[in-house]
Amino acid sequence: MESLQKKFIIEANEFVNNLEDSLLSLEKNPDDKNKIQEIFRIMHSLKGSGAMFGFDDISEFTHNLENIYDLIRNEKMVVTKELLNVTLASVDHLRNLLNQKSNEEVKNEHQRLTNIINDIINNKNKEEKKDIEIASPIKQVSILRQDIKNQDLKTYFIFFEPNENIFSNGTNPLYLLDELNSMGTCKVFSRLNKIPSIENINVEKCYTYWDVILATSQGINAISDVFIFVEDDCNLEILEIAAYNLFENKFFIEEIENKKFLKENISIDELQKFISTLSNIEVEPEKIDIPEKEVISESIEDVVDEVKPKPKPKEIVTHQIKEKAISTIRVSSEKLDQLMNLVSELVTTQARLLLFAEESKDNELIAIAENVQKLSRQLRENAFDMCLIPIQTLLTRFKRLMRDLSNELNKDVEFITEGAETELDKTIIENIADPVMHILRNSIDHGIESEETRVRLGKPKQGKILLKAFYSGTNVHIMIKDDGVGIDTEKIKEKALKMGIINFETSYSKKELLNLILISGFSTSKNVTDVSGRGVGMDVVKRNIEEIRGEVEIDSVVNEGTTITIKLPLTLSIIDGLLVKINNTCFIIPLSAVDRIYEADRSVLENSFNNIIVFESKQIPFLYLRHEFDITDNCPSKQNLVVVNYEDKQIGLAVDTVVGEYQAVLKPLGKYLNKNEIFSGASILGDGTVALVMDTNKVINKFTN
Amino acid sequence: MEDNILKNLDSYLTFELGGEIFAVNVANVLQILELPNITKVPKAPEYMKGVVNLYGSVLPVVDTRIKFGLPETEYTANTCIIVLSIEIDGTQVNIGAIVDLVLQVLEVKEADIKPPPGIGEKYKSEFIQGMIKVNEEFIMLLDVAKVFSSDDLVYIKDSVNETNN
Repeated sequence: MESLQKKFIIEANEFVNNLEDSLLSLEKNPDDKNKIQEIFRIMHSLKGSGAMFGFDDISEFTHNLENIYDLIRNEKMVVTKELLNVTLASVDHLRNLLNQKSNEEVKNEHQRLTNIINDIINNKNKEEKKDIEIASPIKQVSILRQDIKNQDLKTYFIFFEPNENIFSNGTNPLYLLDELNSMGTCKVFSRLNKIPSIENINVEKCYTYWDVILATSQGINAISDVFIFVEDDCNLEILEIAAYNLFENKFFIEEIENKKFLKENISIDELQKFISTLSNIEVEPEKIDIPEKEVISESIEDVVDEVKPKPKPKEIVTHQIKEKAISTIRVSSEKLDQLMNLVSELVTTQARLLLFAEESKDNELIAIAENVQKLSRQLRENAFDMCLIPIQTLLTRFKRLMRDLSNELNKDVEFITEGAETELDKTIIENIADPVMHILRNSIDHGIESEETRVRLGKPKQGKILLKAFYSGTNVHIMIKDDGVGIDTEKIKEKALKMGIINFETSYSKKELLNLILISGFSTSKNVTDVSGRGVGMDVVKRNIEEIRGEVEIDSVVNEGTTITIKLPLTLSIIDGLLVKINNTCFIIPLSAVDRIYEADRSVLENSFNNIIVFESKQIPFLYLRHEFDITDNCPSKQNLVVVNYEDKQIGLAVDTVVGEYQAVLKPLGKYLNKNEIFSGASILGDGTVALVMDTNKVINKFTN
Repeated sequence: MEDNILKNLDSYLTFELGGEIFAVNVANVLQILELPNITKVPKAPEYMKGVVNLYGSVLPVVDTRIKFGLPETEYTANTCIIVLSIEIDGTQVNIGAIVDLVLQVLEVKEADIKPPPGIGEKYKSEFIQGMIKVNEEFIMLLDVAKVFSSDDLVYIKDSVNETNN
């Protein structure tokens, strides 16, 4: 039971997250019926499974919420901002409940929210009563037509044929019929023609099926909800056959009482025909209401259309759900970490095997080793792929933050996201949430101006913050752009001079000045607010990002806005590399950065006075790594030039020899060597020696400045 | 026996460096390695000899002689690496220290460790935890966490001047 409860908590947390997400998009688009439907369904599932696993408080709490959204779903209530506020607060509260926090605060919150929700429902009920009073026959005309349609009874035809094995799930179909009966006027016809002769009967099977005619004010959704737990185990068809209460039609009652409906297996076509003849006769007295008649004929046409295609729409939906359930499985992230570790070990061992095989000169062994190499590469790519998560997973949190902050600070801000499908290693995703939240908080608090200021500056009233993620070479960039005040570099300069970080003599580029805000204790904001401005923060952002080998870049134009770009590596664990040697030291250059390789004479490289070499009539600036790394021994006369991409340029790195491609398992150089700026890690080669992995961007940066 | 030593913090590993004897608490010592192939890390401080492969992870190696301001010598068959586990900024870090010669493990009662020498001594006292007296000889007990967590300073106060002269 305990493990089931754990499973429920995991699942429920997911429900809550989805709920939050749906609510936020509902806020943007309050008329989105699908979203309302989704919200209702999530609440319903939460309530159901909560009760099943003994989380009564959750179930009870959700039940009330669900009632509200049921009203909304049936268009008896509209979505308001207050309602969303309450619901979102409830989402937070549900999270607390799920984490089984039970302190005073949570209890108070529980009481508070329950009261609010009950109030909403009670108010609604009162209103409804009023509505009904108004809706007395005389005043009917004055009520909006829409209301009439919703309040009025509609008649549905329900075909319900449970699977033979339905009893084995503990379902009693009669209860479902009872439930239908409680929804309105109901006529049930049992169809017994499938019951076999007595000697063939299996008492554990269900042979009966039912046709039901139901007149109810509750919508088609409410009807299908009755069958929500059996929808996979039955043939179900729900059709609206009339937009009014057929049971009020005496002719109809007569008809169904006698032969017509006693006949087994009435076809829907027949039923339709019958009803359309009815409506021609019977709607006459109500003729005043012409649009309603249109609705009737329309709905009948709809129904006829729906009947024709054999696979029923309902079934298609369940099919999709089933497929989804099979195509993904839940795996704990520890298992994935373990897998990645094992793959790393495998790749290292495979390198040893290959080296050993090559030394043995045994062709068969070499073939096997190469095969293992191929497999381990595929396995690695596969495992790596599994650890990728789209940035989407973070967005709900960000959207919620933006929503709450824009309310709190009273700034109208549109938060736009692009490239949510961009994928990153899960370890990186875990580590960027806080820094990005911080940047967003800064943007809305310091970046976006108050409404009056914006209007005065001729900007649109609504501020805009864009979060955009995209691939750029071997990196993923996350760009956060606002259209606010921007950062005044003069102010930064003034402050930095005061703090003694920079001096008067040197001139600083804009970029250098902007980068100063990444220094600890540096904040140009004059007022410290609750949200940000304490001067701690941007340095933490920078440090956190650098810990996962990323970079932070700032660009800003005064009164136009600030753009902060976070550049992240795609992965932290294994990369495809090019193994090169200088003297006897091995280095790895990430293959993704490598453009091409040339051979060059030592004398040309060594004696070049401007470090530019011409290949294929292109001038290529290069770095002679022997010089830069202070390596002098055993210089070969022929050397190689590895041309790598650097920003939008191409730069050559001169090395002694290129050994070949290599799958490098990245090992951290450790805290002790963290201060080195040019190597992102090390990798252990097949023979046990250590090769250093170059960060080409940083190598070039360091030696060209 | 091994367990006993590990638990017993009164044990000290002694080693020789430039003719003097130093000691470290065995609690800090993971193992002793023969000198393997060291991969040099370009642009690292001079005392950083490079990195080696320690059972699949990367171990930075410090030439203790350079760190202590002693003249560098050729490595001999006796030269080896003491793998130390120290705490830097709250995280446990492994470091290899190259020493001339590893001597033995001494058992010394805490009471027998004298306080570090005052000003005027050859070594900066902040890196010396205490002095152990064995057979009329003084052994300097190093505070390894302090020695290896500070960046690139040379830790012998007076001999810097001596070698310069």
